[in-house]
Amino acid sequence: MSTASGALYWPVQRRRNRGLIGLFAVVAVFLALYIYLFPGFLTVSGIAKFSQSWFPLALVAMAQGILMLTGGISLAIGPLVSLGAVVAATTMAGPLGAPGGIAAVALAGLAIGSVSGVIVVRLRLPAIVVTLAAAFIIGGIALLILPRPGGEIPLWFSNLLAGNTPVALGLLVVVALSWKLYLATPIGLSLYAAGENPVGAYRSGVPVDLARIVAYAISGLLCTLAGLFVAAQTGSGDPVIGTAFTLNSIAAAVLGGIGFLGGKGTMRGALAGSLLLSLMISVMFFLGFSPVAQYVAQGLIIIGAVAIPEIRRWRSVT
Amino acid sequence: MAPAPTLAARGVSKSFFGNRVLDDVSITLVPGRIHALLGENGAGKSTLINLLSGALVPDSGTIELGGETHRSLNPREARRGGVAVVQQELGLTADLSIAENIGLGAYPRRFGLIDYPALARKARAACDLVGLREDLSTPVAGLPLGRRQLVEIAKALFREPRVLILDEPTSSLSAHEADTLTRLLETLKASGVAILYISHRLNEVMRLCDHVTVLKDGVVTADRSLEGVDAAGLVRLMVGRDPGDLFPSWTPAPAPETLVSVDGFTGGMLRDVSIDIRRGEVLGIGGLVGQGQEDLLLALYGALPARARAAMFNGVAGVPSSVMRANALGLAYVPADRKREGLHLTHTIAWNMMVPSLGRARGLALRNRASERALATTLADRLTIKGDLTRAVQALSGGNQQKVALAKWMPSDPPILLLNDPTRGVDVETKREIYVLLRRFAAEGRAVVLSSSDTPELVHLCDRVAVMREGRIVSTLPHGEASEEAIVAAAMAAEPERAAA
Repeated sequence: MSTASGALYWPVQRRRNRGLIGLFAVVAVFLALYIYLFPGFLTVSGIAKFSQSWFPLALVAMAQGILMLTGGISLAIGPLVSLGAVVAATTMAGPLGAPGGIAAVALAGLAIGSVSGVIVVRLRLPAIVVTLAAAFIIGGIALLILPRPGGEIPLWFSNLLAGNTPVALGLLVVVALSWKLYLATPIGLSLYAAGENPVGAYRSGVPVDLARIVAYAISGLLCTLAGLFVAAQTGSGDPVIGTAFTLNSIAAAVLGGIGFLGGKGTMRGALAGSLLLSLMISVMFFLGFSPVAQYVAQGLIIIGAVAIPEIRRWRSVT
Repeated sequence: MAPAPTLAARGVSKSFFGNRVLDDVSITLVPGRIHALLGENGAGKSTLINLLSGALVPDSGTIELGGETHRSLNPREARRGGVAVVQQELGLTADLSIAENIGLGAYPRRFGLIDYPALARKARAACDLVGLREDLSTPVAGLPLGRRQLVEIAKALFREPRVLILDEPTSSLSAHEADTLTRLLETLKASGVAILYISHRLNEVMRLCDHVTVLKDGVVTADRSLEGVDAAGLVRLMVGRDPGDLFPSWTPAPAPETLVSVDGFTGGMLRDVSIDIRRGEVLGIGGLVGQGQEDLLLALYGALPARARAAMFNGVAGVPSSVMRANALGLAYVPADRKREGLHLTHTIAWNMMVPSLGRARGLALRNRASERALATTLADRLTIKGDLTRAVQALSGGNQQKVALAKWMPSDPPILLLNDPTRGVDVETKREIYVLLRRFAAEGRAVVLSSSDTPELVHLCDRVAVMREGRIVSTLPHGEASEEAIVAAAMAAEPERAAA
């Protein structure tokens, strides 16, 4: 990114880390705890396994994070993941081959994302209602394509993504760098202005509607790609496999410090939030928490994460 | 000696919901001239700016920009024509850095990416002009209001405008920052930029501007050179309306008795406010929009944390700490934004009237429908609210909604009524009814505190008028001395006596 260097770009980036130091510290603590509990982590296959469990959550956290930056939210994340998995499982072994299948998955995500973006932005409908409706529709389409788990993912593809090499981690780095590149474009950076202060942004000459619609398209793409990865992990397609991702994506984005009102937060925060969430789940699993206790603990941690900055703000006022 | 106009409006009119805000207004901005736009609250200044910058389209009339005549100018065309606006409400994004905010919407690019080195260079230049020395990577969220205002001005300069419109640019600036701005405007003027300057500080206008357009109730009352005009003359051009028989006749309050007195009241925007509120009077609170009037009412009502050196509320010492406490002390508050704060729009008239009583009712005691109905009918009668009381409040006109917002406090018979701009957006007939009501409340021995953006209301209805500026009460005028000129002059710090001499 030679164009983005200079005396301004890096200081701006450093400032963005500032509010996240607490979160990074908590992530580091959990990471240390995880390594302590599971020394096998520090091997290539250990890293590979962990990054594979983290990868889809990281993608959906970003997908949710982008929409929350626009001031919206999506309840269709899970069904889109399922759809991605189903499309992958029905096309990749067919005449289209793996490249064709990947293209079909990406296209489905982009298309559905753009359409819901246009509906939310152009018709000025609340994102939560539109994506709730989209969740029913997309979930239904996934079930129509593949009424019960089935389909097929080529074995070599599964081995590549979900084998003993940390390919997933590499892919995540690529995704994160692509996001940085996008944020270095005018339309990408304008997303913050369009989310926090749409009227001011419009008056400044920002194509507010376009910035928001593009955000929906990117969000859809990330979801179906997460679905592709999940299908590769399981070797087949399952039309309801993504369900849990809707709420987990919100949890990860909130843990990562992305605000509900738009224009607040960073993608590195959302990624750190998703990492924290997957570490929490793994650590509690190793500590022998029952699944029910895990859910309760997860909820308490999320409430705490949201409340701490608020309490701090309170105390600084009075 | 008459350079071609850079930007002009020709006979523009604009209405909102049938309410005419601008009527056949013309204004001409020429290069190298600082043009002042003056007018009271609600005279139509903001609407005119929005028309000139393409944010709104006029109902009739045209906008002329760079020699081209537009029937409907859009913001993009306005920007391309070199129009930049420094808005009053800040249009900044808190999470972006100073530089990223300054360049927003006009980022320099290289290979489709933002060219950060070029952005840094150009933003630095714009910041130097306005005297902003902060690091360009500082997020705007961390800046105090005055500095943000400078960022907003730098953002306009970044586009190298040919027409610069400033809507009260100095309202949040320190004296030093304002001086820098003055020098900057003079430089820009010398380089041939056309400048439209909106300010409520008359001495600033007198010092800086060459030409003035005065708006009153959406009509141009003056369009002339500022040479040979004094501040008092400008104030006279902004005010003065025929009160007609809109207001009930005023009679002095008998034997005033102080119900509320606060001394050294500080909180929110309030700075060391001292005031007495007396039984039987209507006390007006005037001033320009947002000088702390609302905070004063809210602080009195216990809805805004505030401290006072000494305070006495209806015989009890101390400032009420909560709304419930204030209610118990006999205060009631009718908010300005009746749609959001004052009423529950989708519920019925009768239900809305019962809300304050619900808070007072004993825990889980059953409601008595018959007595509620009777009470609602009595109230509607008393406040002349017409029609079926089971209709939703949102079906009523603005004026009748306001009456419901007033009526709901009547059952508890509060001795102190705090009213925040109760006649905003209310038709003339209802205004009259509300005025009669307010005088009657006072005559019945209540104290009415009326904050209003409508100066004639303060003049003709109130026993005393306290004028606020920057969180302080700068002047308290008794009925008779409180003329529109006196109120506006106090609000704008125009010192009329010296100007008139």
